[in-house]
Amino acid sequence: MSGITLQNITKRFKTETAVDDVSLSIQDGEFVVILGASGSGKTTILRIIAGLEVQTTGHVFIGDVLVDDYEPRDRNIAMVFQSYALYPHLSAYDNIAFGLRVRRIPREDDPDRDRHLTHQEIDGKVRGVSQMLGIAEMLQKRPSELSGGQRQRVALARAIVRDPEAFLLDEPLSNLDAKIRSNARIELKRLHQRLRQTFVFVTHDQTEAMTLGDRLAIVNHGRLLQCDTPERTLSHPLNQFVASFVGSPEMVFLEGNVESTGGGFTFVKGPVRIPVRGTGSPGAVTIGLRPWDIRVEKASTPGTLSGRVTGVERLGSSDQLFLDVASPPGASPTTPAAPVSLRALVRAYDFDVGDGVFVGFDPDRALFFNAEGGRLESMSISSPLP
Amino acid sequence: MKPRRRRRWTRWAKRIASHVVLIIACIFAVFPIYFIVVTSLSTLPIAGITAHVLLPNPSQLTLSSYNTVLLHESPSYLSLLENSLIFSGSAAAIGLLLAAFTGFALSKFNFPGRRTFVYFILLISLFPSVVMIIPFYLMFAKLGLIDSYIGLIIPYSAGAVVFSGILVKNYMDSIPDDIEEAALIDGMSRTEAFFRVMIPLCLPVLGLAAFLAFMGPYTDYAYAHVFLTSSDKWTLALGLYNINSSDTGTQNYGLVTSFAIVMSLPIVAFYMVFQRYIIGGLTLGAVRG
Repeated sequence: MSGITLQNITKRFKTETAVDDVSLSIQDGEFVVILGASGSGKTTILRIIAGLEVQTTGHVFIGDVLVDDYEPRDRNIAMVFQSYALYPHLSAYDNIAFGLRVRRIPREDDPDRDRHLTHQEIDGKVRGVSQMLGIAEMLQKRPSELSGGQRQRVALARAIVRDPEAFLLDEPLSNLDAKIRSNARIELKRLHQRLRQTFVFVTHDQTEAMTLGDRLAIVNHGRLLQCDTPERTLSHPLNQFVASFVGSPEMVFLEGNVESTGGGFTFVKGPVRIPVRGTGSPGAVTIGLRPWDIRVEKASTPGTLSGRVTGVERLGSSDQLFLDVASPPGASPTTPAAPVSLRALVRAYDFDVGDGVFVGFDPDRALFFNAEGGRLESMSISSPLP
Repeated sequence: MKPRRRRRWTRWAKRIASHVVLIIACIFAVFPIYFIVVTSLSTLPIAGITAHVLLPNPSQLTLSSYNTVLLHESPSYLSLLENSLIFSGSAAAIGLLLAAFTGFALSKFNFPGRRTFVYFILLISLFPSVVMIIPFYLMFAKLGLIDSYIGLIIPYSAGAVVFSGILVKNYMDSIPDDIEEAALIDGMSRTEAFFRVMIPLCLPVLGLAAFLAFMGPYTDYAYAHVFLTSSDKWTLALGLYNINSSDTGTQNYGLVTSFAIVMSLPIVAFYMVFQRYIIGGLTLGAVRG
């Protein structure tokens, strides 16, 4: 097993750039999730690692070996496809054994020559892996006779049995029913903990990404935007795309303007005014807030804005409230403005549509972004709300 | 009760109507075969006479035509069959192999002009093959390939490639790229993946292609007639024509029909052996998933 290093990988198809200057270093035994919307280039990155696509520029290292000119079969990596890509004409057993039958290993008596694996060696490996994944009973069945979950296990077994340098998984859970998907997720995590192998997992599903990954690599339009632990991507997104893509429910964004007021600056968005510091000049700024960082109360307390519940989404253990926030109590805006829409995550069944509420938030949790979506690290809320 | 009854009536009416239609269609399909069988068992002067065909008298039926066709014709039936099998078998084998490669390349490889090439092949297949006889003849006469086995196997195989290549391509298009890529990741070269994964997956369409590639030369008269001059290389189709145009001036229906039957037996046998694949190939697309 080995780590994988991508060095300034760019892949261009005719006119479009699918992967744009991606550099990524994956540690030996690490579980890295490449997260992105469809068409973001995440699968192309995986295929470049596998050798199924050749990058236009840049280098791929598996371990310390530069594998740019290696065929897929010489890279000794395993891949689980979204469709599983089992051989339809072979039984589950033969699907798993297939790679072993063409594989050659050095001879014990003469390391310069190689030999095929013996029938017993292959059989032992296939049975061992099948036992581990709980598919020993269905080895004689064809893929068409297996359920989605069983096919997925056969595909995993086919990958594991080869003892590869690394595992590449292309949305392997997306074809499963929602019910078995969460189980499969947990089992995959356990499998990784047991094998301690390098896993590169591509998905568009952030729940999968958050639960599985040691690190998340968030990709958009072929660019690697951030590669960090799940916690860090949530708490310290490098830009607005990552902030909106990671975290559920999605982050709330207030697009407003910073205006010069007296000695300091104030963020203005409709009736909402928030004193801020750390900016050099006025301009368009977006404030990002996690719905679970927004406090909703029935009674007014210092530093809250008055608002109204316009919609409730019952999520089960919690509710997502859609709020319209008007001017802060006591303040008299010079120009009446449309209310500002927010979303907040609160305990289930505490509020209903039409309730008058008071909304506050922890100033330290607010994130600032500039008009291009870049993070403004130095900006913060200077004092509690009026 | 009333609507139920009516429904039962309409069901019966529908069933009867469909049976009538099917029986008529069946007569059209089966009667010629019946005609041939009865006629082949009859001799002149009654062979081919309508009254006899419709109500044959068993005492007048005889196998003598078969005896003549199989044992007393020149060139002999076995020699004709051997030639036919050589031509058809070679054309099917060569054509099939090339069609598999062609289909694979056209389906799974990206090369400049691929679409143009596909349309070009489709265009070629629109021409009746007879159109090409004269150019082929002139070309092969220069090459000294007239009246040789190889000289006829080449155009037969070429014909098979043109048609079957597209057939195989269309089938391979329906096989996801993932499966071939899985084989590449599993440690195979593209050649190994082709023979160990793609070919086994394509067996249904290859069976159909083999059957069609075999049938073409087996039933061909035009090419064989132009290219083969010496009777020891004649095929069954030429033998059939030879019997038909006997020098007595009369048409011996008994001989012609019994020859037609023994000529079709190898095809029937071939079809029975490959039936599974051929039917699979013909119903492609209907049962995917």
